[in-house]
Amino acid sequence: MHRDFSKDAAEILAEKLRAGLIDRRGFLTALGAMGLAVVLRPGMAQAAEGEVVLCNWGGAAVDAFQQAFGAPFTAQTGMKLVIDGAGPSTGAIRAMVDSGNVIWDVTDGGLIDGMTLGAAGFAEPIDYAIVDKTKVRDGLAQEFGVGNYTFATVIAYQASKFPTAPLSAVDFFDFDKFPGKRTMCKWVQGQLELALLADGVAVADLYPLDVDRAFKKLEPYLKDIIFWEGGAGSQQLFRDGEVAMGFIWHTRAKLLRDENPDFTWTWTNNMLSTSAWSVPKGNPAGKKVFDFINSALDPEGQLTLLRLMGNGPTNPKALALMTDADKAIDPTAPGNTEGQVTISQDYYAANEAELQNQYLDFIAA
Amino acid sequence: MSSRFERYALLLTLPAGIMVLALYALPILQVLSLSLTEGKGAWANYSQLFTSRAVAKVVGTTLNVSLLTTAITLVVAYVIAFGMIHMTARSRRIALLMVSIPFWISVLVRAFAWITILRSQGVLNGALMGLGVISQPLELVYNRLGVTIGMVHYMVPFAVLLLYANLTDIDRRIVQAARSLGARPLTVFLKVWLPLSAPGLGVAALFVLVFSLGFLVTPALLGGGKTLMIAEYISVQISTTRRWDLATALSTALLIVVGLLIALALRSPTMRAAFGGGRR
Repeated sequence: MHRDFSKDAAEILAEKLRAGLIDRRGFLTALGAMGLAVVLRPGMAQAAEGEVVLCNWGGAAVDAFQQAFGAPFTAQTGMKLVIDGAGPSTGAIRAMVDSGNVIWDVTDGGLIDGMTLGAAGFAEPIDYAIVDKTKVRDGLAQEFGVGNYTFATVIAYQASKFPTAPLSAVDFFDFDKFPGKRTMCKWVQGQLELALLADGVAVADLYPLDVDRAFKKLEPYLKDIIFWEGGAGSQQLFRDGEVAMGFIWHTRAKLLRDENPDFTWTWTNNMLSTSAWSVPKGNPAGKKVFDFINSALDPEGQLTLLRLMGNGPTNPKALALMTDADKAIDPTAPGNTEGQVTISQDYYAANEAELQNQYLDFIAA
Repeated sequence: MSSRFERYALLLTLPAGIMVLALYALPILQVLSLSLTEGKGAWANYSQLFTSRAVAKVVGTTLNVSLLTTAITLVVAYVIAFGMIHMTARSRRIALLMVSIPFWISVLVRAFAWITILRSQGVLNGALMGLGVISQPLELVYNRLGVTIGMVHYMVPFAVLLLYANLTDIDRRIVQAARSLGARPLTVFLKVWLPLSAPGLGVAALFVLVFSLGFLVTPALLGGGKTLMIAEYISVQISTTRRWDLATALSTALLIVVGLLIALALRSPTMRAAFGGGRR
């Protein structure tokens, strides 16, 4: 889920910059996907003295991260940030730690992924003697990961298709009042929560999820729901007029609205996900990586990322620096959090694999 | 002179051979070994393939879609190939070109093209509604029908070429003999053409079926998330749910099934003849 969002955010930026051609990093990403990255690149991104190597999801996110986090870090410490866009999937991190040839110091992954990696012994604990916990909101400073940005899944819709605007999860599943096909995500995080909210469960009582109840709520509507896999696909379903309403990432909802104001979204009942900085076990730069992480939690850099890619800040101080336009696209800004569900890290760290398979099995006709 | 060259001829294939070993054989062996060591061990990994209801469903869907694709593809391709061998040489060249054009287009582009054609406000539904044939758009894509259409389209050119080669090899004198003995056209087709093209049909069916079992992009894009086939299921288990035990066991099982299918088919003399081309 996180992996897909981060890649998608990079895709969006790439579209903006019109620089979507395959480059060296794209090639490395492909190698990484084949599991060959570690074998074929000894020393390619090896940390030199005074360097921290960050791995993210490549493409345009490499330049965006360099601008948001690399430049301030170098200005503060004199150290260089090297960004490898190979894609730190949990599989790739595991393979790297197993082989004893760790070349990344810090990775951009889901907070939940960080927790599962840490539990399996593939991540270093975050050193909170160096990293200032108070820079992020409560609950985002975890043992094996510290929140670096947020994103939300929101109810987006085509306004002209309905006499009144849909306002909540209940309306999402009200096919009489709001006729037309829907799209939901085939990655499970947040999807069952939406069904449960529509079925009358309070936000505070969602976890642990009542999976059977959620499936029962969803079942009658399955034939009218198309499941999207990546952000670009979800946007296309709206453009094609294939769906009237959908549960999609806020970054894609914003692109739709920029393109055509008939598309819009409600922040009510959005699902908030958090991404995190994690450190692979045995990282080359050792403790120095925590200086980088601490620097990258500064509000200014996070705001740069919000403006470039739409990813929301985790540092509460960023709010004071925001313009109204910034606030309108930040999932945690005041006014955007009505009925918001914070995706439970503990619940998914323990249950995601099993739940994802159950969900795929359920939606398969 | 030739013997000296023949001694070194092997060298010409060496780079390709090394590539195959490094990029196919080694990773496959790695998958195989992971399927034995990952998780709770070999027994648990493989036994879950038979006990998991979800795996049974995915396998069922895959077989269902693949067999349907194979059947439709063979009928369509046979009609085309049969037409081609009876054409003038000039028309045949054009037909061959038309058959090979889809090979130039990537599977991804084709899937998106089909979405454009089949979606509810797409080319086909638009035309049918414009003509007043239907009043509500037909649901042609984001379901199993869309997946099957996309897969048949992908497989037809392969099957046409295989069948065309087979049909060309059939001795026309047998057809003439049947006619001269008073057989009607339908009888000639059923008693001469069809039996003699059985090996070709067998090879094409096997090829299309084996290929269909591994489809990834087409079902993912045209199925709307609701047609889950083996390849996509394996990919989800590797990258999203980190169930490498299940993924590697399922991959290995698929490989074995496909291998057995081909081995079994090769035991039949007609199939051997078709692969060897030795019946002429």
